[in-house]
Amino acid sequence: MAKVGEQDANYIRRVIVMQRILEWSGRILLVLGFVSPWLWLVGVLALATAKILDNMEIGHNVMHGQYDWMNDKHINSKAYEWDIACDGKSWNRVHNFEHHTYTNIIGKDRDFGYGLLRLSNDFRWRVKNLWQFFTYLNLSVLFQWGVSYHELAAERVFFGKKKDNRDYKVPHSELKTRFFSKGARQLIKDYLIFPLLAGPFFLWVLIGNLIANLLRNLWTSTIIFCGHFTGDVKTFSEKECENETKGQWYYRQALGSSNIKGSNWFHVLTGHLSFQIEHHLFPDMPAKRYREIAPKVQQVFLEHGIQYNTGSFLKQYSSVVKRILRYSLP
Amino acid sequence: MSLIFNPLTNWFSKQFFHHSSMAGYLEPVIQLFKPSWRDGYYRAKVLSVTLIANKTVALELKTESRWPTHQAGQHIELTIDINGRLSTRVFTIASSPNQAMHEGVIRLVIKQQDAGLFTPFLSRLTVNAWVNISKPKGTFLLPQSNAVSLFAAGTGITPFIAMLHQALHEVAQPIHLFYYAKPNAHLLVAELESLSNRLPNFTFTLLSRSIDGDVVKKLPDCHNTHWMVCGPNDFHKTIRDYALMHQQSLSSEHFSLVDLHSTGDEKAHFQVDHGGIKFSADNQQPLLAQFQANNINVPYGCGMGICHQCQCVKKKGVVRDIRTGKLSDYGEELIQLCVSQVVSDVEFKA
Ligand code: FES
Repeated sequence: MAKVGEQDANYIRRVIVMQRILEWSGRILLVLGFVSPWLWLVGVLALATAKILDNMEIGHNVMHGQYDWMNDKHINSKAYEWDIACDGKSWNRVHNFEHHTYTNIIGKDRDFGYGLLRLSNDFRWRVKNLWQFFTYLNLSVLFQWGVSYHELAAERVFFGKKKDNRDYKVPHSELKTRFFSKGARQLIKDYLIFPLLAGPFFLWVLIGNLIANLLRNLWTSTIIFCGHFTGDVKTFSEKECENETKGQWYYRQALGSSNIKGSNWFHVLTGHLSFQIEHHLFPDMPAKRYREIAPKVQQVFLEHGIQYNTGSFLKQYSSVVKRILRYSLP
Repeated sequence: MSLIFNPLTNWFSKQFFHHSSMAGYLEPVIQLFKPSWRDGYYRAKVLSVTLIANKTVALELKTESRWPTHQAGQHIELTIDINGRLSTRVFTIASSPNQAMHEGVIRLVIKQQDAGLFTPFLSRLTVNAWVNISKPKGTFLLPQSNAVSLFAAGTGITPFIAMLHQALHEVAQPIHLFYYAKPNAHLLVAELESLSNRLPNFTFTLLSRSIDGDVVKKLPDCHNTHWMVCGPNDFHKTIRDYALMHQQSLSSEHFSLVDLHSTGDEKAHFQVDHGGIKFSADNQQPLLAQFQANNINVPYGCGMGICHQCQCVKKKGVVRDIRTGKLSDYGEELIQLCVSQVVSDVEFKA
């Protein structure tokens, strides 16, 4: 951590610049679709990449506070908002707090299965689990809305129960307003305003945006499932984790996630969530540094006989699919 | 630039670029063309960094043309990038508005603190490097007419230097300066001499407490003049107490150097100001617990420094990170309440 500095600041600014360039050129190329459909296609891909960069490498990581040390007015976890249906402030709360603190504690970390999928024997089998693979596909397609809705419900459940006498809560009404206003802005922007700006090419742009959002949803959901729900990932009960020590917390983080191997661009596009284990151990370290610490982490795991879940994208993804299928049966 | 950044474009940016301000959305892109360009700041280029005395540097800056010229005695916030991190400190301008207006140049005279987190880095600034400055602030100005006595200690000389240089261009009242420093450690003496040669109404005496005794001894001679004081806290306090007793008119500027003597383990109390609500906090417990004990509701989550829910904007003051023992910066920054303890008076944005 001591090394974190100028390099990291320059890196995140560079990624932001890349994102802006991809976003604008994408939007412009979409309209130029009338010159050649190829331009349109490139536009779709550029826009999708821009959205992925924005959500993963920039949004997710900045909102984790990874760059707060820069003291920059705009690049910090309080100010940043991302290009996704889910309201950043709300996500910040559930994700950073519930998911990262109570990782994989059944009943506390609502991210485990998102309340839709049965991914371990900790949950009772229900008939709807039979077709949960299709539920999963649906969730992937609509991932941004899933994340957004998930958050809203989470607050309701969590604070409705008044656990741990946490007295500062965000009122439901405010959460709902945020959910709807952020969601509406996204819909209006991508499916109304930008297409309208294109005049006669309304449909081209509308469909382009639709596909770009779809690609982004599939990508993010796939990466996130690979990081959390491969076959090796363990779960924990609330009982096990009462009064756990900092050491046990790290242990749980380690067993609760899995990594994906890949090349440079792959890691950047996953927002370095391909280093999910490192991310869970050090959520507020600038993500690009995970590459450096990964070998050390692996070494420590080895010494302590802890399993370090990693593998190629294909291996991890098929493991996820297997897990979803396995638990669709009792 | 102000054309591109206004409430309308901010609204636009919010709707289309998911960013609360247009400037925030575009900033990294603009920086490609204008290094260190930052929304809400002015840019300035380093012309020279000179060591003018032991551990004291003079920093000459070329301000961008839209910078509103200061009045003699005003200060600015100087922001520099130290290894990727933006740090800010306040310094008085030690050059005349006249020079700023005609040449676009200002000068800061800065004492370097050994263990400081900011000033030691100033000597690493290279010529032509970019820094950010705020607009000039402050009301420590030379009054019209009236005879004036100036009391300076150490780098407290800076605002007076600016005033005296400016006085060259205006008709000035009788001014006498009492300048305290360690023996032979007075700054800018040659400049003071040349000023007193050119300004018929200006005289000065160089003093050292170890030789000439406390400043109190000089005060009785100065009744019937307006007093201006700039120096460290105790210097300022001595003169202020005397002035109150004798109903003497006085204006002052004193350094906000934080007293960090209490960073040890003994229990100490400090004042916390959260957007106007004030309470006292000790240096033993995390701030979060003390906010709660004082019924100030702030969001929080894990309580162990990982979720960043409890993050707050600290305006000024120093806190210690409980995990690493590291002290924070003095200026504005984001801190996590659950893993911070106070080591000075602290002010937060609500
Ligand atoms: S409450 Fe989680 S970081 Fe402070």
